[in-house]
Amino acid sequence: MKSLERVLGPERYLRIRNTSVLMVGAGGIGCELLKNLILCGFGTIHAVDLDTITLSNLNRQFLFRQKDIDQSKSLTVVKAVQNFNYNDCKLEGHHGNIMDTEKFPIEWWDQFSYIFNALDNLEARRYVNKMALFLRKPLMESGTTGFDGQIQPIFPYVTECFECQPKVTPKTYPVCTIRSTPSQPIHCITWAKEFLYHQLFDELEDKTQDQRRQLESETLDRQEIDNLLRESNELAELRRMVLEPGSQFAQELIHKIFQVDIERLVNIESLWRTRKVPEPLDLLELQHELDALLQEPRSQTILVKDTSTWTLLENLYVLIRALESLQKRISSGEESCVPFDKDDEDSLNFVVAAANLRSVVFHIDPKTKFDIKQIAGNIIPAIATTNAIISGFLVLASLPFYDQEPRSRGDFGPVPQTSSTVFTSIRPNKYVTAAALSQPSPLCPACSLSARGILHVSQKDAPTLGQLVEIIKKKYGYEDIALILGKAKLIYDVDFDDNVDRSVLEVAGFVSGELLQVQDDNDELENLEFYISLGDKNELPELVLRQKVKEKEKVKENEENGTGELNNGALEPVEIIDDEVEEPPTKRQKILDIID
Amino acid sequence: MATQLRLRSAKILVINLGAVGTEVVKNLVLGGINSLEILDDSSVVEDDFLSQFFLPNENVVGKLKLPLVIDRIKDLNNRVNLSINTHNISESILSEGYLSKFDLVIATELKKDEMIQLNKVTRKLNIPLYVSGVHGMLGYIFTDLIKHESTSEKDLGNQPRETGTKLSPSKTITKVELNLTKDKELVTVSDEFVELQHFFVSKNLPTQLNRRQMKRLSAAFPLIFSLFECKKEQLENMKTEEIVALLRDTSNRICDLFGIPQTVVTDLSIGAVLQQAYTEFTPSAAILGGALAQDVIQFLSGKESPINNCLILDAFRSEISIYVL
Ligand SMILES: [Zn+2]
Repeated sequence: MKSLERVLGPERYLRIRNTSVLMVGAGGIGCELLKNLILCGFGTIHAVDLDTITLSNLNRQFLFRQKDIDQSKSLTVVKAVQNFNYNDCKLEGHHGNIMDTEKFPIEWWDQFSYIFNALDNLEARRYVNKMALFLRKPLMESGTTGFDGQIQPIFPYVTECFECQPKVTPKTYPVCTIRSTPSQPIHCITWAKEFLYHQLFDELEDKTQDQRRQLESETLDRQEIDNLLRESNELAELRRMVLEPGSQFAQELIHKIFQVDIERLVNIESLWRTRKVPEPLDLLELQHELDALLQEPRSQTILVKDTSTWTLLENLYVLIRALESLQKRISSGEESCVPFDKDDEDSLNFVVAAANLRSVVFHIDPKTKFDIKQIAGNIIPAIATTNAIISGFLVLASLPFYDQEPRSRGDFGPVPQTSSTVFTSIRPNKYVTAAALSQPSPLCPACSLSARGILHVSQKDAPTLGQLVEIIKKKYGYEDIALILGKAKLIYDVDFDDNVDRSVLEVAGFVSGELLQVQDDNDELENLEFYISLGDKNELPELVLRQKVKEKEKVKENEENGTGELNNGALEPVEIIDDEVEEPPTKRQKILDIID
Repeated sequence: MATQLRLRSAKILVINLGAVGTEVVKNLVLGGINSLEILDDSSVVEDDFLSQFFLPNENVVGKLKLPLVIDRIKDLNNRVNLSINTHNISESILSEGYLSKFDLVIATELKKDEMIQLNKVTRKLNIPLYVSGVHGMLGYIFTDLIKHESTSEKDLGNQPRETGTKLSPSKTITKVELNLTKDKELVTVSDEFVELQHFFVSKNLPTQLNRRQMKRLSAAFPLIFSLFECKKEQLENMKTEEIVALLRDTSNRICDLFGIPQTVVTDLSIGAVLQQAYTEFTPSAAILGGALAQDVIQFLSGKESPINNCLILDAFRSEISIYVL
């Protein structure tokens, strides 16, 4: 017997050899995960990712090399692992967006026995979660931030799904978005904290990384690269001024960052073909009012207005005060540098004001100091070893599913009861904590408030909308329904029957991959969500709908069961208390996000 | 920053490039260690293809292993100063002259007597030592880092931390600096280690586990220690029933020695370990290699307090426990 067969058990080994699994995301966790899947002998593995490889990926993602920069992640990983594909697994890479219904229709998803998420963004994870719910396939969810990591097996409708618990998400962005073309507040905050503040006041690492090469890995625009390099060099000059008390440091900095640099950016026309052109600050025009504000002692109160949005002038005021204070701390020799800390008032004020001023320039809504503190405090780097540990658990946790013969759709046998979610919690007496899977939350917008299935419609012999309504009512026991196509397009209800005599195929937007919502007009049965699949048959999914639980009863039920946290969408971290720890319990998020 | 600096100056020796060794090397090289030497005198065997992903995907069975993998490892990060050594392991691990070239030693898949001999030398030379190995779904990391101090910033707990508090029998808080404005404490922890030879005769478990913990102790613990008493070559030549009897007998002895109830080792767990003993398995190796490399990086940077001193992975139960032996 082969050794792998011995470790896995001969029957399970055969099932794994003959199965097909999907890995969504080929970044930090994905590289490690794919290695583990291949060396465990999974018969067929598909990898999907829409990203290309950048220089910054190389020190965390061991399957990528210098020569792969700018190549597709998914196509590169499947090639790279051939080097050690000792088990002859079949590999398929797909460069594309997992949410693309044309490229990845629901029939495509159906070929997999297990879905592994190694994703770094919330929207895609929600989508994959929904696909798992539609198809009632097991989904392995994962995430890491810093030393924290977690895996969570999801057995749709039997255990908690990805959306049963509300999520908080930090993330990182391409350099060019941050430096040249921001479009969201987070881009400006990241710029202010990770770039501007870092360059001016933080300890700088030695320049082993070639800046030009890094930029070249992300954009082909020569003019943009030259400009960004020039910006950095000038900033280095300004950094020297921090050490000279009495210099015009604050004024010069603001002039450079929000006027000169922006004017130069405006001149790079290639950047603005599809974007709104930024508007440099006119400091001369503002000078008079700003001086007045600076001389008025009562202006101090601006600094503590945490929850209201500062005006342009107020942001300038705060930035100047923060700059003066930071300059004093450094030039006095008290501190050689001041690394960013959200609890250090000067560094936070600097980041808030600089981010907001940049937002103004780029026509983005500014944020309050309170909000920016939350966001800026959340940016934690990914750690390769955490990804390695978590990826090991991802595969281990999927193995019990293959202990049994495949069952009917949605029936997972005893596996959900014996499976656990695992998260790292490094203590003197243990390294990880495993916890039994919870039941779905009765308040979950994805898996509890709606049933799901695939609606097959024959392209040759499609029903009229009126017929479809009758079939749905009869099959699932609704008295009267409303039908909503896509996000919000009402196509039928009792007062709107204009379309009933038309074939559903003539209803605009009734296409494969679109979602069709069925709502009970009497509010008694739960909603139903169909994934429309046009093909050669007419068929509705076999489902038994649950009675709607009224909001109040749900809360009560929840309390009695002592299960889910009643977070109700609030961004509250879940506290995990361990009865055996000597260290005070730490707060942690229930599912963490990858920064990549 | 400080982490990077110390990583850049440390010289690390990795002994044996098996499953765990491969994972550790990958992680340390990616993490930007300064200099790494791999010591392994073995030739490639069929089972190496289970998880040693630096091996070329072709028939190289019987060839010396390290020259086949060095280029691929270098390829990960060419700034790391990487060297290989295919000199006889049994001799090298006894050579003070050789070992004294390193700041830290990571040994994988060693036999019990080899590990104890190596540890004698590392102790004498004052070199921190990590030892690790895998048996399918089970695995271990042992540490003898001699004596170590680490300082890290922690969130304020429900109660303030106090100097002198013992976090475990071998971890003591030696300094606490409060930073109220940040809701943080700067906590210094001092770690004491014992030589690995004491692990095998330790009486510490009953004092650190309560009755409930003792009852649900993972069978991985006594079984891994039992496997140190049953050599791989010995097991290979035995019939299944003989191995079961041997493991039952040995684990009973081990349980008595450590003061563990014999009942934690069920027939089922012996049956399972039969299939796992001395077999490499990638997911377990990935977890151990990740944890070990992370601990080495923390150790070198003096930040988080390290693993002290016996970590046991039981992948059947998704459990990683740490005991102080
Ligand atoms: Zn849910």
